[in-house]
Amino acid sequence: MHIPHTSATSPGAALPSPALGDQALDFAVPGAVPARRLADFRGGPVVLTFHPGHWDPARAEYIATYNRLIARAPGLAGAKLLSIAGSGPWQELTFADTALSIPVIAGDTSEVARLYGVGSAPAVFVIDEGGTIRWRHDAATDALPHPDDVSRALAALAEPPDDTGDARVAAADASSTMRDDPLVSFDAPDSPAPPSAWTRRDFVATALGAAFALALTPLAARAEPLARTASAPGAGTAIGAPAPATLRVNGRDIALTLEPRVTLLDALREYAGLTGSKKGCDHGQCGACTVHVNGRRVLSCLTFAVMQQGKEITTIEGLAATAGVTGDALHPMQQAFLTHDGFQCGYCTSGQIMSATAVLREPWGPDDDDVREAMSGNLCRCGAYPGIVAAVQSQRAGQPAPTGGTPRR
Amino acid sequence: MISFDYTVATDADAAVRAGAAPATRFVAGGTTLIDLMKLGVETPEHVVDINALADRDPALGAVSELPGGGLRLGALARMSDVAWDARVREQFPMVSQSLLQAASGQLRNMASMGGNILQRTRCPYFRDTATPCNKREPGSGCSAIRGINRGHAILGTSEMCIATHPSDLAVALVALGATVRTRNAGAGRTIPFAQFHLLPGAHPERETVLRPGELVTAIDIPALPAARRSLYLKVRDRASYAFALASAAVALDVQGGTVRDARVALGGVATKPWRSREAERALIGKPATAATFRAAAAVALRGAVPRKQNAFKIELAKRTLVRALTEVSA
Repeated sequence: MHIPHTSATSPGAALPSPALGDQALDFAVPGAVPARRLADFRGGPVVLTFHPGHWDPARAEYIATYNRLIARAPGLAGAKLLSIAGSGPWQELTFADTALSIPVIAGDTSEVARLYGVGSAPAVFVIDEGGTIRWRHDAATDALPHPDDVSRALAALAEPPDDTGDARVAAADASSTMRDDPLVSFDAPDSPAPPSAWTRRDFVATALGAAFALALTPLAARAEPLARTASAPGAGTAIGAPAPATLRVNGRDIALTLEPRVTLLDALREYAGLTGSKKGCDHGQCGACTVHVNGRRVLSCLTFAVMQQGKEITTIEGLAATAGVTGDALHPMQQAFLTHDGFQCGYCTSGQIMSATAVLREPWGPDDDDVREAMSGNLCRCGAYPGIVAAVQSQRAGQPAPTGGTPRR
Repeated sequence: MISFDYTVATDADAAVRAGAAPATRFVAGGTTLIDLMKLGVETPEHVVDINALADRDPALGAVSELPGGGLRLGALARMSDVAWDARVREQFPMVSQSLLQAASGQLRNMASMGGNILQRTRCPYFRDTATPCNKREPGSGCSAIRGINRGHAILGTSEMCIATHPSDLAVALVALGATVRTRNAGAGRTIPFAQFHLLPGAHPERETVLRPGELVTAIDIPALPAARRSLYLKVRDRASYAFALASAAVALDVQGGTVRDARVALGGVATKPWRSREAERALIGKPATAATFRAAAAVALRGAVPRKQNAFKIELAKRTLVRALTEVSA
């Protein structure tokens, strides 16, 4: 995917990214009526997010999430979060009876992206109440940071400025000590008073507001800077403590902070925000979680993510690109499943398609029964098997004959 | 799943040292271990990833030819790679067949040779920590003997455990007289396949002769010309992707209508991969006829102990064996 505001329509190359500790450059919010500036949001922390172009915070499916969070956090009214999306008009979204609003900048946002040195990847900045950039998400991926990381970055704002002047380290260390419960740390007797007179309630509201809004985004991955906190003193002593791990998914490196027990499936879905791979049985019996590792189909629920570092992982989200297809076009096998009615509810479909594309590279025989045998690890509760077999066969027709053929009993 | 420490072993000595620590498990494909960790059946505190050993020693992850004939299956070779290997398919077709009739395409791309022969039973009580199971929790009792036991073993059982050994590959390997090569704190061992797995007896929790930290490095299959016409026949509840109700791995050397040599092993019906030397003796020197095959099958199942729901397996196993012998001698 790409972000329209950084496309060729940009008036100039992106400026160098502002460094931590820099003053956040002010800008007029494109399309805002009445006119608004970033400076108008001062007085509390601001989380500035640059979203993928297709992100629409008003999508109905997010409403349940909004309501759940609002129910949990009555103090959300203090949240200040500015989202820059690539489509839709300027929106101030208000939910339920609370005053929570999420301004979403749209329209021509290319100038704002340029100011912040944002390229083709999503980005997140945490700006403190004085307008200083205190944290940013730098991972060069399609993914946004994990909400927890943003929460920790916000929590770190309550710490005094670091004497060494290395704001990033200060933020990372602070968030590390707050891993278990940032609120406890915030109120710890030894903690200096937070800058300005934040109340605990304000802080909770802001942090939750950020986590809340980010939880809505379709993509979320841990930010690289905070991934380092796993190796901070004291953090590595517990059994199975989270540690930095880099997965190469769909041609991009994603830096995550993972416990060893996180399966590849959970890492993809819950940490990298790639929810195309489905969790069916979670025990290797249904095939819904099928992905490719180094081009071979495997079950992502039965391997630990840390075991798959250094491998080329392909999920349904990146499948079309492997066929040289660009934009929103489908992989030929995806199209074949549509053409041949290879699904009903669709839950098993991404696994079916990942399996089917790998089958084309395996030395199975030519018959329908060979397809049924090759695909037997992908269950379809709707019983769309006739369409699945037809879809797979339609893609095998133009294939070179497999070597060897299927051994017969 | 409980937390554990994860380390990557980059040489075999380090792996063996790490593996000897209490509450430690090796992980290769992970398809058994991770499944059972999610269920709380396996609860290691240390998991040692041995996959990188094949980077240093590629033979660990490959099929290679033995000097005197026969093949070596590296412990880290994946089921799919072994199944599709041209030498395996030519020299030992029943090994390829046993692999391709097991699990699914995805699982076969993950699961290793070493892990396959060490896989744990599919007994539902073993997999359910809420029920007694002598294999999982020694002394707690066997829920299967008077419970749901349709899939359970009829050969090699004890009053402590009737769990079926689930591997298809191991049935072919025991028939072929394979050996398991290991590495341990000393130098390592070569263990005949028939002695590798243990009968449950009074200690169903002990499944193999491996010692703590001992690492399977390879499985050697000795040359056996008769195995070029061998067969693994698997009978199950559905056509694919299911464990065996009964299976037979057979190789016959028939000359002039007379059986000169025979290998017979049964799967899905026993507590360990079950070679029947009695059945082999009942075949060798006899005419390759239906009557001979039926007699051999009767001998193979002579000591079977059925339970309430699995008595059908006696007849099913006999018919499976007769059909396999018939097909392979046709």
